[in-house]
Formats: sequence, structure tokens, C-alpha cells
Amino acid sequence: MGESEPRVHFRVIRFMHEAGLRLHVGSIPMATACVVYHKFFCDYSINDYDPYLIGSTALYLAGKVEEQHLKLRDIVNVCYKTLHRRKPALEIGETFNALHESIPSCELLISRCLRFKVVFVHPHKHLLHYLKSLESWFPRDEWAGVPIASTAWSLLKDSYHSRVCLKYPPQHLAVAVIYLALLSYGREVPYNKYADTPWWKAFCDDITLPIIHTIIKDITTTYEMEITV
Amino acid sequence: MPSVAQKQQLQQPEAARPMHESRGTTPRSSMEELGVGGGGGGLGGGGGGVSGMIKKMKRRLSWTIKGGRPLDESLSELAEHLTIEDTSNSNDATNTMTLNYGRPMSVPLTHNGVVHENPRIGLDGEGEEVPGTTDEKGDVISTVRMRNRQRRLSEEVTKRLSLPADIRLPENFLARSTISLSPDGQLSRRSRRKSLSEIGFGKIESYTKLDKLGEGTYATVFKGKSRLTDSLVALKEIRLEHEEGAPCTAIREVSLLRDLKHANIVTLHDIIHTDKSLTLVFEYLEKDLKQYMDDCGNIMSMTNVKIFLFQLLRGLNYCHKRRVLHRDLKPQNLLINERGELKLADFGLARAKSIPTKTYSNEVVTLWYRPPDVLLGSTEYSTPIDMWGVGCIFYEMACGRPLFPGSTVEDELHLIFKTLGTPTEDSLPSISRNQDFLAYNFPHYQGEALITIAPRLDSDGLDLLAKFLKYNAKIRVSAADGLKHSFFNSLGPGVHMLPDTVSVFTVSGISLHRDPGIRSSAVASAGKLRRQSMLF
Repeated sequence: MGESEPRVHFRVIRFMHEAGLRLHVGSIPMATACVVYHKFFCDYSINDYDPYLIGSTALYLAGKVEEQHLKLRDIVNVCYKTLHRRKPALEIGETFNALHESIPSCELLISRCLRFKVVFVHPHKHLLHYLKSLESWFPRDEWAGVPIASTAWSLLKDSYHSRVCLKYPPQHLAVAVIYLALLSYGREVPYNKYADTPWWKAFCDDITLPIIHTIIKDITTTYEMEITV
Repeated sequence: MPSVAQKQQLQQPEAARPMHESRGTTPRSSMEELGVGGGGGGLGGGGGGVSGMIKKMKRRLSWTIKGGRPLDESLSELAEHLTIEDTSNSNDATNTMTLNYGRPMSVPLTHNGVVHENPRIGLDGEGEEVPGTTDEKGDVISTVRMRNRQRRLSEEVTKRLSLPADIRLPENFLARSTISLSPDGQLSRRSRRKSLSEIGFGKIESYTKLDKLGEGTYATVFKGKSRLTDSLVALKEIRLEHEEGAPCTAIREVSLLRDLKHANIVTLHDIIHTDKSLTLVFEYLEKDLKQYMDDCGNIMSMTNVKIFLFQLLRGLNYCHKRRVLHRDLKPQNLLINERGELKLADFGLARAKSIPTKTYSNEVVTLWYRPPDVLLGSTEYSTPIDMWGVGCIFYEMACGRPLFPGSTVEDELHLIFKTLGTPTEDSLPSISRNQDFLAYNFPHYQGEALITIAPRLDSDGLDLLAKFLKYNAKIRVSAADGLKHSFFNSLGPGVHMLPDTVSVFTVSGISLHRDPGIRSSAVASAGKLRRQSMLF
């Protein structure tokens, strides 16, 4: 194949994000789709299944799981157009029908491969709560001046390009992206130095600085890879 | 903060992300737990390099999000979903968000620190097309840096994806995808066959289908017998000929039930996937609460009402603790076995944006157990929506008739208001601004005292009933608090100390009483015989 597996996955997830954007898929179904995709390829070889078909189907399945149902027709059209940028849009015909049939059967295949465990807890809710709390700890001007929240949110979204989402609990991921966002802007949580409990401990009991650093390293690796993919 | 001394280089991405060996070739039984993938992780080495990374990150990050862009749409949408009162962030977001495509904020990713620019982007503010970025990287470096400020708007448009917009897939990929997503659907058939042999899933031959128990919206339920365990099972057969693949409700039901293991929740034994159908194998229980009430002439012993209600709350409390909502509680979905164990069934009703009145099979959906906030168009789904239904079921068990048997949404609301009084700002905040409510123009009812409609209930029972039937979902009693209500004191303290999977009937002193309305034993046994003869 000539390309390492993480890179292939990176590309496919990027494709999924783009298709998802065109389909107006929300953040949560998008995250579910990525987790479905990664979980699938943790267990099955990339040589046996077409990753783009799995990716498209993961989007479709995630829509059902998160109850933001996507029409199969839209999935087929948008995914096709996203992949075949230069070709004319897909018309009703053999190719369309084939894809239209493939996705539902692939959906069952994925469901079975994942043992029908397709409902996941994502870091998003935790992240939102943590950010809400942090906001009130910061002086208002300082918080308004730096896009900590949006940066953390972006980092989380981007982290789905690799398997980071499977390796750590959602709370840990949420803390780590905030930590990284603060670090990127050179900010510190006020009075953290004097506090008995550092802010990350206050959010999440069982997290430690080494864990945060490990997660950050994983996330930044994704960005490194982005340069070369 | 990472120490500056940590200069160790990060591992290469390939090394950091070890390949997971394909474990797909081992057959596994359907109910076997899936080992969470992606674990392990070969991040052993390293330990440092964070500060270096941070610098890079910081450089990239600061490109677009410099200008304190507030949280975007999706975040506020989530905030709304989480019902956070203080939405200052999200308000900001909606005010400043002029672009329709202000999707998650894009950490701008650059190639070698260079922001890609496409000169056409600025014109494309509305475009659905993500512009294929050009490759004149070298030419734009200086312009980008200089015009960074003016370009922010257009950048936001292009960077709708977190990662670069220039997803131009290489030619060789295009060739490959044409093969794999091939016209004859070869891949999916091949992979389906493969998966069938790879995974030792439940087999339909293991079960004998007996009589049909009922037909739902997307499934038919059969009574069956397992040849493996010789026990009775319920087979829920989901048809797959539907164009859109497996129904959303089926997927949700399976994935939710997989994780719920409780004495008061129906157990999912197995899942069988054949070409035309997906069959869920459940434990078999003799009847549902509706049949139970019919069989005892709608006069139940108050002790039994108490035991059933307690079990219902126990199962629901377990679900709610796991953030699983039932959303379709009704006597038909509460199954009861001969011992008197009550179990919740039929999970996964779709989150309805509007209330459906008919199913695909043109069957009427019952509104009797729906809370008024949902009937009035609330789409905020949270645990209290199940608690209203509990109140209605409690009343029905105690009094022998449904509490609010409305046939349409308006009729249903009318019945509720007539009994409990038309809601006011006090009982249901912001009701005076609810368009649906205003449009119906209900008369102002005072409501009746619960004791007049539920004379069989003692003061504890009436108190608990009133707590379930609160208009304001925020003050409706939760399942956890309901269990602690003094109404259940007579069951003794033992029932509160049971592990999840242990039935309340293991506590001494807990047993079903004979229901006063039950028909004479002769009739009852004749009925049983009749059922059996139909069976064989």
C-alpha cells in the first residue's frame, strides 16, 4: 500500500469531516462516526475493507445512533462528490444504486463487528462544563481576550484524526485539551500556583500531570502527521 | 508546565501509534465483550518534547483564532442540550456569528507554518464548495502574513474544516476508490460473506419459533424456545428490507440494552443477523402489565401495586443513572413473570421532534403516558419525561382505569388540565409564551383533588402520585427520590440494599398477594389451558 496505516486513517477522517460538514452533521454525531471508524479498524485489517466505504457508513450509522438521521441518498451523493471532486455529480444509475445498497449492508457489518456497541460517551459535554467553570475563575477581560474555549474545542475535534479518542477516558481528554489550549496562549488559571488542588484535579479526580502530558503528546503527533499527509 | 529540560524528541507518528493486529479472524460469540480497541499504546518512550510541540502549536493556533472568536454554534447547541441556564457564551456566538458555516473553529493547519491561501476564497463566502486550495504555496507566504487581518473573514470560510480545506485526493486514490465502491457492490457482498464466517454469531437454528406475540412498528415478536438452554425466549424479528437499512430505533435499542444489566430490565440474550432480518433474543416473560391488569379485572391488591411500582422505579433509576431514557413507558412495555418480577422492555423509541400519532403500520401511538411539556412541543428530553408516565401507570394500577385516555394531542391535554388544573406561570414557567398552548385556548380549570379521583390511595400514595404529576419537569420527583418515598416504607429496609441484578422477591416478606379482582381459579386455569392449546 505504501502508506502507513495512521496516515490512511488520517486522510479518511479528514474526508469524513468534510463530508460531515457538507451534510451539516453536528459535533456529537461526528465524534461518534470517528469512534466507530477507529474501533472498526482496531479489530479489522485495512487491507480487507475499503476505509472510505467504512468512513461513509460510519457517518450514516452515527446519524442513527445520535438521532440526527441522515438520508441515505444524501450520504451517497455527498460522499461521492467529496471523493470525486472533479467528476460530475452522481446521477441515478448503476453506481448510485450500488452505493445505495452497499452502505446499509456495510452498516450492519460494522454494527456486528462492534458487537452493536455504538453508543459512546464523548468528552464534549465534560469539556463544556469544565470551560463553563473556568470562565468564572478567570478575570472577565482575560477570558474574553483569549479564545481558550474555541481552541480547546478545535483541538478536541482534531484529535479524532487519530485513535486518541479510544485511548483515554473522556474526562481526561477534556482536561488535556484545555491544558493544551492554555499552554498555547501562555495563560495560567489564576491562583493555580497557590491552590491546594490544581484545577485539573478539581475537574477530574484521577488525572495527573504525566497523564495530561501523554495525551498532549498524542494530540500534537496528529498535527505533526498533518504536515506530511 | 512541561519543563524546558525535556528536549527529547517525540517519536515518529508511526511508532507512536502502533498498528493493531487484526484480530478479526477469531470467531467470537455474539455476546462476548468487545475488547476496547486502541488501548495499549506504545507511548512508552518519550516523556518530553511537549514544550517544543507547544511552540509549534501555538504558532499555528494563533493564526486564525487570534481575535477572541467566541464559541460557535455547535457549542451553544450543546449548551442548550445540556440546559445550562447561563448561556452568555453561546449568545455571544450567535451575535457575532455572521457566517453560516461557522462550524467548529478550525485550528488552522499550515504546511510548514504557512497558511494556504486561495485568492478566490473571498468571493466564495456562501459557497458550499470547499475551495480546492492551490499549490502555489511559495507565492503566498508573504501576502498571507501581511494581509492576515483582512483575511480573517475569508479564512473562516475556508477553514470550516478543522484541518486544511485542500483535500485533494491523489489520483491513485481515485482509481482505488472506484474499484472499491464498485458498481456491482462487490465489496459489500464480499465483506458480508467474510464477516459471516469470521464472526461466530448467534444462529437462527438455535431457536424454535413458536407463536406470534405481537407486531410492532418495525418488528414482529415471536415466542420461541432456545435449543441451547431449553428455556423460553422472545424473538423480536426486525425486517431489513427497508431502504434505509436497519431502523434507528433497533440500533439504539440494541446498543442501549447491551449495557443494562438489572433485575428490572429485560435481558437481551442474543442477536441474530440473517440476510433479511435482525432478530433480538430476549428473555421471555409471561405477560405485560396491561394483560396482568386485564386478568385481575382491573382490581389489583395495593401491596402488589406497591411492589410493581417499586420495581418500575428501581429499573428506571438504574437507567437514569446511566443517562438512558426509556421515553415510551406504558403498561404494554412493562413485562411481568409468574413470580411477579416486573421488567422494562422496548427501549429506544426515537427522539420525536414532533409527536407521531401513527406509526408506519398505521397503528395509533398512545399519548396517554406523555407529559404535558412534551405534548406542548418541548424537545428537551431528560429523565423527568419518564417520570410522568410512571405517575400515570401508578394511577392506572391503583384505580383500575387509565388516568388520561386522550385520543388526540388536544384531547389528551384537555383531560390532563381538567383533572390537574390548567397550568399557570406558577405551575409551569413560561407556559404563557408557549404558542401551542395559546393556540389551543383551553378554558381555565381549577383541577380536582387527587383524593376524589384516586380514593383507593392512602395519604402517602396520594403524595407520591402528586409528585409524579408535576407540570414543571424540573420539580417532578426523580426515580431515585421516588424509591425513598414513605409510600414504600411498608416494604421494609431490605429492598433498598439489593445489588442491581437481584430481584426484590429475594427479600423475605416480599411476595405477591392475591389480587381481589382475579377470576375464580376454575376460569383462570381454563384460560391458561386454552392459551396452551393454542401454543402447541
